[in-house]
Amino acid sequence: MTQIQTLLIANRGEIALRVIRTATRLGIRTVAVFTDLDVVAPHVRAADDAVRVESYLDIASVVAAAVASGADAVHPGYGFLSERAELVRAVEAAGITFVGPSATVMQQMGRKDHAREVALAAGVPVVPSYSLDQDASSFAYPVLVKAAAGGGGKGMRVVRSEAELAEAVAAARREALGAFGDDTMLVERYVEHGRHVEVQVVGDSHGTVLHLFERDCSTQRRHQKVLEEAPAPTLDEATRARVRQAAVDLAAHVGYTGAGTVELLLDADTGEFYFLEMNTRLQVEHPVTEAITGLDLVELQLVVAAGGPLPLTQADVTLSGHAIEARVYAEDSFGGFLPQAGTASIVRWPIGTSETGGTTGTTVRVDHALEPGQVVSTSYDPMLGKVIAHGPDRESARRALVEALDRTSILGLTTNAGFLRALVAGDAFRNATIDTAWLDTAEIPAPDPALPRLLVAWVSAMITASEHGHPFQSDGFRLGAGPAPTVVDLDRPVVVDRAAGTVDGIGVRQLGAADHVLDVLVDGRRVRAVVNVQTGPGGVLEVAWEGHRHEFTPPDRLAGAAVVGDGSITAPMPGTVLEVRVATGDTVAQGDVLGVLEAMKMELSLRSPFAGTVASVEARVGTQVPLGAVLFHVEHLVGDGVDA
Amino acid sequence: MTTTSGTPGDLRALTQDLRERLATARLGGSTASRERHTGRGKLLVRDRVDRLLDPGSPFLELSPLAATGMYDDAVPSAGIVTGIGRVSGRDCVVVANDATVKGGTYYPVTVKKHLRAQQVAADNHLPCLYLVDSGGAFLPMQDDVFPDREHFGRIFFNQANLSARGIPQVASVMGSCTAGGAYVPAMSDESVIVRDQGTIFLGGPPLVKAATGEVVTAEELGGGEVHARTSGVVDHLAEDDAHALAIVRGIVATFAQPGAASYALEPVLEPHEDPETLYDVVPSEVRTPYDVREVIRRIVDGSRFAEFKALYAETLVTGFAHIWGHPVGIVANNGILFSESALKGAHFIELCNQRGIPLVFLQNISGFMVGREYENKGIARDGAKLVTAVACSVVPKFTVVIGGSFGAGNYGMCGRAYDPRFLWMWPNARISVMGGEQAASVLAEVRGPEREDTEAFKAGIREQYDAQGSPYYSTARLWDDGVIDPLDTRRVLGMGLAAAAHAPVPAPFYGIFRM
Repeated sequence: MTQIQTLLIANRGEIALRVIRTATRLGIRTVAVFTDLDVVAPHVRAADDAVRVESYLDIASVVAAAVASGADAVHPGYGFLSERAELVRAVEAAGITFVGPSATVMQQMGRKDHAREVALAAGVPVVPSYSLDQDASSFAYPVLVKAAAGGGGKGMRVVRSEAELAEAVAAARREALGAFGDDTMLVERYVEHGRHVEVQVVGDSHGTVLHLFERDCSTQRRHQKVLEEAPAPTLDEATRARVRQAAVDLAAHVGYTGAGTVELLLDADTGEFYFLEMNTRLQVEHPVTEAITGLDLVELQLVVAAGGPLPLTQADVTLSGHAIEARVYAEDSFGGFLPQAGTASIVRWPIGTSETGGTTGTTVRVDHALEPGQVVSTSYDPMLGKVIAHGPDRESARRALVEALDRTSILGLTTNAGFLRALVAGDAFRNATIDTAWLDTAEIPAPDPALPRLLVAWVSAMITASEHGHPFQSDGFRLGAGPAPTVVDLDRPVVVDRAAGTVDGIGVRQLGAADHVLDVLVDGRRVRAVVNVQTGPGGVLEVAWEGHRHEFTPPDRLAGAAVVGDGSITAPMPGTVLEVRVATGDTVAQGDVLGVLEAMKMELSLRSPFAGTVASVEARVGTQVPLGAVLFHVEHLVGDGVDA
Repeated sequence: MTTTSGTPGDLRALTQDLRERLATARLGGSTASRERHTGRGKLLVRDRVDRLLDPGSPFLELSPLAATGMYDDAVPSAGIVTGIGRVSGRDCVVVANDATVKGGTYYPVTVKKHLRAQQVAADNHLPCLYLVDSGGAFLPMQDDVFPDREHFGRIFFNQANLSARGIPQVASVMGSCTAGGAYVPAMSDESVIVRDQGTIFLGGPPLVKAATGEVVTAEELGGGEVHARTSGVVDHLAEDDAHALAIVRGIVATFAQPGAASYALEPVLEPHEDPETLYDVVPSEVRTPYDVREVIRRIVDGSRFAEFKALYAETLVTGFAHIWGHPVGIVANNGILFSESALKGAHFIELCNQRGIPLVFLQNISGFMVGREYENKGIARDGAKLVTAVACSVVPKFTVVIGGSFGAGNYGMCGRAYDPRFLWMWPNARISVMGGEQAASVLAEVRGPEREDTEAFKAGIREQYDAQGSPYYSTARLWDDGVIDPLDTRRVLGMGLAAAAHAPVPAPFYGIFRM
């Protein structure tokens, strides 16, 4: 075993920071890589050294950076190149240690079709599957169509009847090709009430494979994990034991080294489970396992990568309490889950502000890489950070997580923190009745803006009144009377009477206001929120309350009357033009798809607002476009009775 | 001579009475009438003003107690709200009809108040914003409203001449705008109307039917659509009150920024003396003497007052100070006016004019000294010098009647006739040509002293003078710009100074001083 001296982290964001943290603690020199977009990113500053790469997906560039910086090991993090056997080979060819399994194992487990065979060989149950060559009418619907090379929900479709199959396969293939460069498809039985249970394993090169208990990641939206917890709730001990053993058997069967995750589909109706796939890397949700075991998974990865034996036996691995993680994304969960881009103005994570936290015996961990002033683009994964709460039992962890999300205040762009808060606080999650399909259909009510509006109005009036030093200062002075209330124009006018302590007649008593944190009693109820009010043109009126960002836009009363749709088709969000289906001069019907925009993990069809002629096509395939960019112009057909 | 005899609690009680009167007046018309008004989707007049002004803007309301005790007390604030406030960062005069009070019609005092607001705009170069909601002249009193020089027609004369001087005129028609009133938007530089709510016509439907037999609705005759699309009488069509006010704010935002004051401003310092103690240092009984410097110290920046001729003619206190950073020369009574006091005052006023420093008169004067000795020495001649100096002053003047305002003292101390930019009264103020007691004696003497009913006669005179000497009698008739809480003195003077600083100060010149 040779101690790793210099570790290059072939990743960015919170996971790069997280790996750097452990490496630094172990006295290992760290090297970050960065693209032109990330020159000032937090992970670059956190590392001892940093090397520019063309792209985080550019194997040659990453290996060259490792060589140039004198790294003797490369940690891939998750995503990007973390499950690419080519990287492993290239790193090892350069005489550098790869922190993870061998290229062979990675390749074996990385493809779902191969992995399935391995599972069968290891005696782990698999979901009944079909071949696309088979007669589609013989499939037991619903079935799941998924990319063999896939992950993260890309290239995946649920098909409920034979009629839908061809279209779903085509769409899945297109996604898979774009995402993985491989459109091989698998078809398998779809479990209606499935729970996503996965087992953390770690193996060393001396033949030891341990499990670090299981996680439940059933709170998913379109196969994207939203909440993860460890251990899995509501399982009986026998099932737990079977699940854990199956994962160890599988990993041992392939001689797995390093940290890996065996994902299983647990049929909530029968208690049966099936092998789904194995992730040959650190998972996003690994902190929940760390919380309940007290282990540092990155440290174990580094020990194993250096050739050392795992410093513990299965008996040494103990489970303490319960942990839940919530993934904070830049997305508008209450507005169609559209990805969000922008500049974070105020960022308050629930750490270092323990005055409201600290339910007895609970701890909160935040892994993030988002700072105030940071530009969040659509170029990389929209995950901004993770909030993890640990407690003696599930309920205390859950309460601690609600509290932590209450103190998660990100302004400047919209995140799902308020959505997460609502989920975690809700009955379904509290009672652990969630399956993987639940969130796709669940109606999570948008937070009521009444209290946030009141808070923003109060702060606006306070800022207004702070203008002073001349006799026309904004203190609402009136002859022989108290100051006049301030009418604050938010989405509607709000009357703030600071002297009387009311907002629209509701009693407000200010307890504190500093550093954007407003602490007030509203109708006798203690409320703490992070408020950002910037007056003047282009001003900002926003508040984070219970994790959710509420933004208020006063009506522009001086704007002209509503303009009738003029036939401009604009980008509904920032993204990449995937397809252009029309050319200038084409005749289109209302609703015809003119092109397709991809933003993050969604494909958006851009449709013609009315029948007409394509007047111009600004969209170019492959180009990145900002929100509101004009992509097409359609003109009304002459003589159709509508003024163009 | 610090004298704090009397009953200090009285000024507090008088101020409480003032606050109650103001609160009542600010309600406007009756509950039913207000409900009818808001039921149509219209904002009440003071809400309109609040929404027009910048958020948190102060409002220096002028004569809110106009028409108190007049017209059966049925026309609170004379049915019109006027004052100075900040709109889109600019200090503006606002003139807003209260349609809940007699349909916003113009009583004689209403006209006077409207004209006074225009005078304030003219003196201080402040844009005029008219929020129109009025049925025009109050017809039963047409002889006191319509024909004279200072009657209804003067409103439009002023609009034309203010506009000519580059003082913007903007009207927002938010209700009726009938007959002569129709000229308010028409004479404005830019105007707004609210759809389905504002109407403008020279003759309303009843008059049209009577005159020509034509039957027409108010909306067809002069509604928003008509004037915005067809007649061109207005320039902007608003959906509702809030929209109209936003448009007006947008219009004001296009006005040129006013020039800076002609003098340098000092940093603002609060008085060292707690202004609350004003109530204690001023005895409410007018005849009780006290040291006016105690008042000055509670009004000026840092309580700092540099006296001029402190040792000479001590019944008139003069000196320099700052109020809200503006330099001021203060002329304050501290007893009766003698020849020397008048000369000292004239001298000081000349100094302020020479230096371009605004003047503040704190008026508490029972008059000039009388008697053979003083007349023979020519006190009238010296009084004339003071009156000349005051009359010919070119710097902005501000008068606060903090006690008595009697006889020629009123003239020498810049009474209403001497065109102070603003004149305010404290609730303890008294104003009349002479005291009631003196008037009763004089009139009884003239009538023939040896009559049985002399005492009853004198009591009648005293009663008359008592009633007419009230600050509310004064403010009802626009002899002043308002009765103020003594604690607001510093603030209203500051606002007045800030407003006055918008207008340039010409070079001083005087008539003949009788030597």
